[in-house]
Amino acid sequence: MSDLLFFVEVSLAGLGSGALLSLTALAFVLIYKATRVINLAVGEILMMGGYFFLAFAAGWGLSPWLAIPAAIAGGALIGAVVERGIIRRMLGESPISVFMVTVGLGSVLVGIVELVWGTDPRTLPDFMGTAPVFIGEAYVSRKIAISFAVAGLVIAVFLALFRFWRGGVALRATATDQAAAYSCGINVPGVFSLAWTIGCGTAAGAGVLLGSIGGIAPTMGAFGLSALVVVIVGGLDSVAGALVAGLAIGLVEAWTGTYLGGEYKLVFTFGILILMLMIRPYGLFGTKEIERL
Amino acid sequence: MLGMTKRTFLALAASSALVAAAPAFAQDDGEIVMGGSLPLTGVFGFAGVAIEAGIQDYLKILNEDGGIAGRKVRLAYEDTGYQVDQSVAVFNKLTSQNRNIHLYYGDSTAFSRTINPELQRRGDILMAGASFATEINDPQNFASQFIAGPDYTEMFSILLEYIAREKPGAKLVFVNSDTEFGRDPIESSTARAKELGLEVVEQIITPPGAVDVSTEVLKLRRARPDYAIFHGYILAPLPEFMTQAKQLGLETKFMGTFWSMDSSIWDSVGEVADGFMGVMPYRYYYDEEEAPMLKRIREMRPTYQTTGYMQGFLTAMLMGEAARRTLDAGKELTSQNMKAALNSIEDFDTGGIVGVPISIPGNTVPVGRIYQYDAAAKQMKPVSDWISLKE
Repeated sequence: MSDLLFFVEVSLAGLGSGALLSLTALAFVLIYKATRVINLAVGEILMMGGYFFLAFAAGWGLSPWLAIPAAIAGGALIGAVVERGIIRRMLGESPISVFMVTVGLGSVLVGIVELVWGTDPRTLPDFMGTAPVFIGEAYVSRKIAISFAVAGLVIAVFLALFRFWRGGVALRATATDQAAAYSCGINVPGVFSLAWTIGCGTAAGAGVLLGSIGGIAPTMGAFGLSALVVVIVGGLDSVAGALVAGLAIGLVEAWTGTYLGGEYKLVFTFGILILMLMIRPYGLFGTKEIERL
Repeated sequence: MLGMTKRTFLALAASSALVAAAPAFAQDDGEIVMGGSLPLTGVFGFAGVAIEAGIQDYLKILNEDGGIAGRKVRLAYEDTGYQVDQSVAVFNKLTSQNRNIHLYYGDSTAFSRTINPELQRRGDILMAGASFATEINDPQNFASQFIAGPDYTEMFSILLEYIAREKPGAKLVFVNSDTEFGRDPIESSTARAKELGLEVVEQIITPPGAVDVSTEVLKLRRARPDYAIFHGYILAPLPEFMTQAKQLGLETKFMGTFWSMDSSIWDSVGEVADGFMGVMPYRYYYDEEEAPMLKRIREMRPTYQTTGYMQGFLTAMLMGEAARRTLDAGKELTSQNMKAALNSIEDFDTGGIVGVPISIPGNTVPVGRIYQYDAAAKQMKPVSDWISLKE
C-alpha cells in the first residue's frame, strides 16, 4: 500500500470522526444560539440517546429504524422537560448558575443510567451492516462513512432551516435581540423550548451513531467535552463553524495519531483550543462578543 | 452563645462525641473487619458491584465455617465512585470507626499508591484490591499489599508464552490506552517478547475514551500482525477494532488482559467477538472442570457471576488465609505478620477458583490461563493449560 493511499485513508477516517464531533457540537450550538446557555449536559444527553436506542431496539425488540427516531424523541423530550421545568425558571439568573445547573443535570443523567441499566459497558444492536466501503482504492469504515453522511445531511438541513424556515428565522432573531424579538411578536419562551428540544434530540441522535461505533457506557458523555472544543474553535453560535471545526479537528487528530502517536491527539486538540482562545476567542465563525463569567 | 453556659456547651460537645463514637465502642472485640473502598459507581462500577458480591459470599462461607480462629469477619465498605480522594476519605472514615480493621480492599492503582505510606505507618492492615499494576509487585516498597493474581506485566508474559508456543516468531502489535493502566506493561513486555523470539512490529496508543479507531485500524492493517494484544480497556474500542479488521480481511488474533475478559460484556457484541482471547487468572463461573468452591458459588448464586466476582472472592480468601495462619501461629494481626503468612502459602488449594494449586512467593499470584470467547456458546473456553511463570 502506497504512502499516499495510506494518507488518503487516514484523512478520510479523520473527516468521518470529525463529522461525529460536528454533529455533537451542533447540539451545543443550537441551544447556545437561541438561549445563550452552554449546556454542559450535552454529552450525557448523547449518552441517553444511546441507552434509549438500546432500550427500544434490544429491550423492546423494535426495528432499529423505529428505535432511532424513538431514541431521538427521547432525547428531545429530556430537552423539553429540562427547559420547561428548570432552565426557564432560571431566566434572569447569572449565566454561571445556569451553567452549573447543566453540570448537575449531567451527573443526574449518569446516575439514572447507572440505576436503570447498570454500569456495564454495552454494545448496540448493529443496524449499519458490516460490508466495507471503498472510495476508489481507499478504505473507509462503513460506520464512519454513514456517520459522515448523516452528520453532513443534518447540518445542511439546519443551515437551510435557519435561512428559510420561519422558526429558524425566529430563533436567529431571538439570538440577536430578545427584546426586539418579543416586540415583533415572536414567542421567545417557545423558541427557547424549541432550541432545547431540537438540540437535545440532535445530541441523542449523535449518541446512537457514536454508540453504534464504540458501544455505550455511563461514561460516554465525556465525548461531549471533545465536542465542546469544536464549538469553541468553530464559534459558539455558528452552525457552519461546528461543521468546519469538527472536520478540521478530526483531521488533525487523525494525522497526529497516525504519524506522531495516539498520545499526541489530545495535546494537539487542546493546543488548538488554547491558541484559538488567545487569538480569536469568539471562534472561527462566532459572533464577536465576549461574555465574562 | 445563645444563652448557653460554657459548662453546658462542653457537656453537649462531650456527649455528641460519645454518640459519634458509639459504633466503634459497640463493636464486638472478637470480630475482624475487612474495610473496602469499593467503586460501586463510576467508570469502574461494573466491577465494583461484582467484587463486593464476591467478597461478601466468601466471608459468608468463612463465617459459616466458624470464621478465623473463631472470630467472624465483617466487610465494612463504602462507594468511592473510583475517585482516589473519595477512596482515601472512605479509608480514613472506616479505619477510625472500626478498631479491628486488619484487612482492606482498595479500588485502584492510584489509591494503592496514595495509601501505601499510611499502611506502612499503621502496620496493622494487609491490603489488596482491583489493581494489577506492575509497580505494586514490589515486596520492598509495597510491603503491606499484594495482588490476588498476576500483575499486568505477568499477564502479558503469560500471553507471550502462549503465543511463543503456538506460533514461534509471531508478529505482534500492542494496543494500549493512553492511561496509567494502559501503559503499565509496554516496556517490560516488549523486552519479554524479544526474549521469546517474538517481534513487536507496532505499538498503537489510543487516547483515553477514544471511540472511533479508524486511523488506528489502518495502522494495524499496515503492520499485519499475527496477534494484537490490547491492554487498558474494558470493552470499547475492541469490538470496533475487530469489526474493521474483519472487514479488511486481516487474520490477526485479538487478545486482552483480565478486565477485558468477562464473557458477559462480550455477549452483546455477537459474532464479531468470536475468537477473542485473553489471560484469565481465575476459572469462570460456568467452568465444568471439578471445582468444589465454584459448585458452592453456583449454589449460592444460580446465575452467572462475572470475573470481578471471582477476583473479589479470591482476594477475600487469600486475606482470610493470611489472617488465619497469623492467628494460628499465635501472632498479632500486623501487616508484617500477615504478609509473612501470605508468603508462606504454597501449593494452596483454592477449591478450583484457580485451576492449579497456587503459591504467593512475593506480591502476586503469577498464574493464568488463556481463554477464548465462543460466540455460539456465549462463554469463554480454555485454550491452554494453566501457565505458571515461576516454573
